[in-house]
Amino acid sequence: MPNAIRPKNKVIFAYLALPVVWFVFAVFVPLITAFVYSFCEWKNGPTKTFNGIQNYIDLLNDSEFWLSFEHNIFLVAVCIVGQIGIAFILVLMINSRLVKLKGIHRTFGFFPSTVAAVSIGFIWKMIYDNKRGILNWFLVQIGREDLTQVWLNNEELVMLLVAIPLVWQWIGYYMVIILSAISSIDQEIFEVAEIDGANAFKRAIYIVLPLIKNTLLVCITLCIAGNMKAFDNIYVMTKGGPGTSSMVMAMYGYKTSFEYSNMGYGSTISVGIFVLSLLVIGGSQWLIGKMTKDKDV
Amino acid sequence: MAKFEMTKVEKNDVGTKVKRGILGFFLNGILIIFSATCIFPLVWMFYSSVKEKRAFNADIIGLPKEPTLINYIRILTNSDYNLGSSMINSLRTTILSLFFIVLFGFIVGYILARIKFRGNRAVYLMFLMGMLIPIHSLLVPIYVVFKDTGLSDHWYTLIIPYVAFGLPMAVFLVEGFVKSIPAALEEAAAIDGSSFSRTLFSIIMPICRPILTTVAIIQTFSCWNEFSFALVLLKRQTLHTVPLAMTQFTGQFASDYPKIMAAMLLTMSPIVILYFAGSKQIIKGMVAGAVKG
Repeated sequence: MPNAIRPKNKVIFAYLALPVVWFVFAVFVPLITAFVYSFCEWKNGPTKTFNGIQNYIDLLNDSEFWLSFEHNIFLVAVCIVGQIGIAFILVLMINSRLVKLKGIHRTFGFFPSTVAAVSIGFIWKMIYDNKRGILNWFLVQIGREDLTQVWLNNEELVMLLVAIPLVWQWIGYYMVIILSAISSIDQEIFEVAEIDGANAFKRAIYIVLPLIKNTLLVCITLCIAGNMKAFDNIYVMTKGGPGTSSMVMAMYGYKTSFEYSNMGYGSTISVGIFVLSLLVIGGSQWLIGKMTKDKDV
Repeated sequence: MAKFEMTKVEKNDVGTKVKRGILGFFLNGILIIFSATCIFPLVWMFYSSVKEKRAFNADIIGLPKEPTLINYIRILTNSDYNLGSSMINSLRTTILSLFFIVLFGFIVGYILARIKFRGNRAVYLMFLMGMLIPIHSLLVPIYVVFKDTGLSDHWYTLIIPYVAFGLPMAVFLVEGFVKSIPAALEEAAAIDGSSFSRTLFSIIMPICRPILTTVAIIQTFSCWNEFSFALVLLKRQTLHTVPLAMTQFTGQFASDYPKIMAAMLLTMSPIVILYFAGSKQIIKGMVAGAVKG
């Protein structure tokens, strides 16, 4: 913009002041606060006493926290394979000329992603319910009554059971994102490949995949970020239980701070979540960057 | 010889046709099953919500034999359940948050894209960092800060974090968009004597409508559905938003599924209607936001 029509600094400042202050107050101030309080012992009540890095030593030795972290990673892994993997396969199918009702599949498939995670959690809690749930009802119908159980009390299965709603909710979302990436590819490429004798599988691996690589990477990033913050579903379905078998980091921070009123340690956990999430997201970006570079060479 | 070859080709054609038919049936079948599972919970909740509790417990999957609106009537006539007021709270929070996100996002995005000033990069970086910060790590500290400053538990409380969390994406979408508009437009406006503010709101803003719509669509859903910050920042029941009121409600009537379903459908209805009324535009907006953001 030429200097002649550039507004005065005062005007720029006036326009930027409120949004910037607002943003700093709601994002950076809490972040700094958490950092400060993470060095304090602060339980039940107003007294905060500085206790150095004791909280951080506790955090490093806190098996429950690291278990929660593992659960987050588990969710990320299941969701990358489940959401993006299934979405990709569905996209390949939906792209076929033989498929009808494409618009309906998009609209219906995308729908769950617009519903609150809380509602999704309730719906699946009802599905898993031992007396009135569809899952047990179905098992009875197919004559496997022996398999019916109180699903969400099963310590070994519970992580998988809370992951399924997440996968289910977001398949359609990623399907639509990948679809829109494919539709921007020149259709002639497919026709030429088909004439050249590439079968559907080869076309998927050697033509579609490289062309939508960037979109897939965006999807993976979204998926990682989304699952590091898993909270709503878990809060509704299990609250981290039974015991700690479905505890995730955000849930653990919440429980420590609000149920055990340990704000000091809760702040330390928040800092821990902050650092670990950044590390996982940043690390995966770095890894992706490195891997794609190697392939190109 | 020639005749023989022709029949062979024809036979092959029939073969591929059958093969394609089977494949088509298979593909369509899987996709229809997929779509059906996506929509099934909504349908199931809908017809189950018009059952009595006893009828539902006797047969969880069957269609209602004696449809009744009793669950809806009970929910709507009992103000203790807090569902009506929670919808008003959600509506107010969502609309006000949207207003500020769109307005601030537009102003900041435009200024960052167009005007050079000292600190431009700093502000840009700050919002970029805002996108990278794992928001859920703020759950506990934001509670502390809001409590200390007396900002928690008011009708406007949630608007503060929602606007702040929505801003980075809005800023970047607008910034990218404004860069694609030729600057000659503003120059012409300035020559014609239009002030900066007037150009900003009556010339640039209408041009940015598509991207602002995208921002608004994404934020509508995330504000309406947001749960965790509402959970820690609001204590008073009368201020609860929909997701919060639902967790209370289901805790209270854990065994009365039809009632819970009726309540869920009722509180979901604005967003469901909005989605099916404008699904094309909404899907487009969400995808654009996800990929560019």
